[in-house]
Amino acid sequence: MEEDAGEEPGLGRCTAPTDFHFYHMDLYDSDSRLQVLPEESTGVRREAVQAERTYEPRGAREGQAHRALHEEADELVHLYGLEDDHELGDEIMDEDTPRLGTAEYPPYGVKRGDPAWEQRDWRLGGEAAEAEDLGFGGWGSRGQCQDLREAYRYTHGRASEEYECYVIPEEEDEEEAADVFCVTCKIPVRAVENLDAHKEHEVTPLNQALESAKDEIHKNMYKLEKQIIDMENFASHLEEVFITVEENFGRQEQNFESHYNEILETLAQKYEEKIQALGQKKKEKLEALYEQLVSCGENLDTCKELMETIEEMCHEEKVDFLKDAVAMADRLGQFLKTKTDVEISAQPDFEEQTLDFSDVEELMGSINSIPAPSAPVINPQAPNSATGSSVRVCWSLYSDDTVESYQLSYRPVGDGSPGKDQAEFTVTVKETYCSVKNLMPNTQYEFWVTAQNRAGSSPSSERAVYMTAPSPPIIKSKEIRSCEEAALICWESGSLNPVDSYTVELTQAEAPQAWGVTESIVGIPTCEALVQLQPRQNYTIYVRALNVGGPSARSEPATVHTTGSYFHLNKDTCHPWLTISEDGFTVMRSERKTPMREPLASNTRFTRCVAVLGNLIPVRGRHYWEVEVDECLDYTIGVAFEEVPRHEDLGANRLSWCLRHTFASSRHKYEFLHNKTSPDTRITVPPRRIGVLLDYANSRLSFFNVDISQHLHSFSCELHRLVHPCFSLEKPGCLKIRNGIPMPKHVTFY
Amino acid sequence: MALKQVSSSKSFGGFQKVFEHDSVELKCKMKFAVYLPPKAESAKCPVLYFLSGLTCTEQNFITKSGFQQAASEHGLIVIAPDTSPRGCNIKGEDDSWDFGTGAGFYVDATEDPWKTNYRMYFYVTEELPQLVNANFPVDPQRTSIFGHSMGGHGALICTLKNPGKYKAYDATHLVKSYTGSQLDILIDQGKADEFYDQLLPENFIAAYTEKKIPVVFRLQEGYDHGYYFIATFIADHIRHHAKYLNA
Repeated sequence: MEEDAGEEPGLGRCTAPTDFHFYHMDLYDSDSRLQVLPEESTGVRREAVQAERTYEPRGAREGQAHRALHEEADELVHLYGLEDDHELGDEIMDEDTPRLGTAEYPPYGVKRGDPAWEQRDWRLGGEAAEAEDLGFGGWGSRGQCQDLREAYRYTHGRASEEYECYVIPEEEDEEEAADVFCVTCKIPVRAVENLDAHKEHEVTPLNQALESAKDEIHKNMYKLEKQIIDMENFASHLEEVFITVEENFGRQEQNFESHYNEILETLAQKYEEKIQALGQKKKEKLEALYEQLVSCGENLDTCKELMETIEEMCHEEKVDFLKDAVAMADRLGQFLKTKTDVEISAQPDFEEQTLDFSDVEELMGSINSIPAPSAPVINPQAPNSATGSSVRVCWSLYSDDTVESYQLSYRPVGDGSPGKDQAEFTVTVKETYCSVKNLMPNTQYEFWVTAQNRAGSSPSSERAVYMTAPSPPIIKSKEIRSCEEAALICWESGSLNPVDSYTVELTQAEAPQAWGVTESIVGIPTCEALVQLQPRQNYTIYVRALNVGGPSARSEPATVHTTGSYFHLNKDTCHPWLTISEDGFTVMRSERKTPMREPLASNTRFTRCVAVLGNLIPVRGRHYWEVEVDECLDYTIGVAFEEVPRHEDLGANRLSWCLRHTFASSRHKYEFLHNKTSPDTRITVPPRRIGVLLDYANSRLSFFNVDISQHLHSFSCELHRLVHPCFSLEKPGCLKIRNGIPMPKHVTFY
Repeated sequence: MALKQVSSSKSFGGFQKVFEHDSVELKCKMKFAVYLPPKAESAKCPVLYFLSGLTCTEQNFITKSGFQQAASEHGLIVIAPDTSPRGCNIKGEDDSWDFGTGAGFYVDATEDPWKTNYRMYFYVTEELPQLVNANFPVDPQRTSIFGHSMGGHGALICTLKNPGKYKAYDATHLVKSYTGSQLDILIDQGKADEFYDQLLPENFIAAYTEKKIPVVFRLQEGYDHGYYFIATFIADHIRHHAKYLNA
């Protein structure tokens, strides 16, 4: 392999060798095996190789030659089965490289007694002889081995025209076919010869020797194969490393470049600054000197002027001279008194400039260290990833920077409440995600993250707003109304701020948890929902609140039984003298010692009639409920529209229909009142339990004595709008309402 | 006893028929009306007896009351017998409208010359039911009785004297000694009934109240005694009976 590299530096041996053939080992077992290696095809291939060589330009030809050489080498290996192919290749190249200049590559063994071929053959034999590492040790001299192999091929009777005369003349002369093998001498010999030359040596039959030799060769072949695989893997790994080196180099290069640029810029900047400063200084000096010069000039002028004046004076008459002289003397005296500054104001020398390169040094120093990371990118909130108290924040780093940790900071998004500064929290994590807990529900939080390494901290990422899910709503269980086909559920939001919507989930309570189907109603905008249900089932109902962060946890469950109708009393309508029990189903009017004050008029509460309305589910189906009364009780029960006048008696208007019982003088009086009128109906057995059937479909309201299944009366009533059950007590006493009762059979006839 | 079909008309999916037979009890030919609802073609039906009032025959009820619709809906066979034996040629039988012909009062006469033929109580409670059970697809366990005026009285008598025989019952006045099973009585009384004073409903109510027999007594404003009144409320009454017969 080393030779290869030496021989062909320019051919880019970085890539792994193109093919490694499977080396067919059992060459000498039988005729048929030998047939596997048809010379014809090999010959064809060689010719093809030759043709290739002929048609290609020279440069390519070299490469072509190389490939062809490989193929040829393989062929030879096939034929001879054993040599290291590279050695063969080497040999071929050695042979061929000088020949490339020539037009043709001599074809293999086509011509009779081709001297070149023969020559080569010998050479190959020689090479083979040098291949010590293959542990060849069973054969005699290499040349002889080679010859013998050849001999064996042809004694087996190949019918190839081409090779008929392909015989090495010398060998034939030298020996006849050997039939035993001398282990000592490691040569095949004739048994006959045994007698004398090898009589003391260990001899084995030739076949046996063959076998053992083949085994040896097999072992070596396995080793070779393994080596080939290892080399292949190594080569591909090297490739990868190669690429990585390039990449890393690229990065480093970039890094260094930017650093150095920075340094250079700094230096340039410094230079500019210094030069500017110097320039400034020069200017200052020059200006000072100039000023001096100017004043000097002035001085000079004055001196000259004086001098001239004095000279003129000297030419004057004595009297004038004397006059002027005194003045002149004064002037001169004055003048000469003023000090002339002959000190040079600005020195020509410039100070030593200290060059401050500390920051440059710093920069230089920082080249060796890794840069601080670039800012991470914080992800928007993934839907449904929040709970009522936590959010899962994720971010990414879009660069190959080294990061040792991340710092996630957050604070609640305030709605501008003044004064209280929202607290900021920070968490340090090693991952690119974090579940932040202990947050307030249904609240928005602002998150931002920075990456850190030894060199420092990255700039902060953009701020992302995440929202926690809301806290679960609270179902108002006591206010659930239902009938056989539906239920009206209402709840409290559970959150201070508005949520986006609510979801109602219902399961049939009888179904086992595992395979109960949960039905959901989503997108409910308000805190109530009218839900369609199946009759005579038990349901468990949950409500969730929903916002951008996701759904809240389930509320506490509420149960609904779709048997009969279920309503509660509307406390807002209750006359002040009536009290409703804790469970909401007993209505009482107590004895009062003191005279009762008439309550003030109201739109909601009954003021005249001591009554209360119920809240029936707004479903126009059939509703049935029962009222338990005392025989002596004065009561009125029935239905009324929501807007029934609160200051009138029940049944005294068109907006209510009811049964009124009055007990006086041991006589029971029953009236069926609507608009103040009642049919004259006598009832001999006073009912204790009254069933009330409200049938929207048939526009009928019926009353029954439940205990004896007796029908008392039916109203035909036009019910364009929804009505509610109504109850009143004309005297102290109590009545008890029963809900959720399935309609008895006798009632169904009505 | 052989029944001879006198007439048959399809009505509300069923048939309104009239039959004639020789009555053993009354010793004369008697007619009675039968309404067979559509359900009777495939199954046994409960049977409801209607007793007509004074001067009526089996025809009045079936032509004037319009009961067939309710009977068809509830799947009830309705039998309407005559009010008295006919053509017995008893002296004085046609003298007054409220005694004799057409006024059998659903009692068994105890005196001559009436006692041979005038055995309407037995006829209504024994002979006719046996005849009906044998010839029509009735379920004898589910029988009920009602009536108008004299027939109402007749229904009550039959009921009170035969506790448990009839599933649902209508008005009577002889309840004071009643000790039988639960009754549920529905009475409609026209307020403009010219016979109101004769009928004495208050006494009736008082008696039933005392005995705690469940009665709903409805005084219907403006209604008189006749078949228009009956027709108005017949559906309620049939429903009242159906509630028990079809339970």
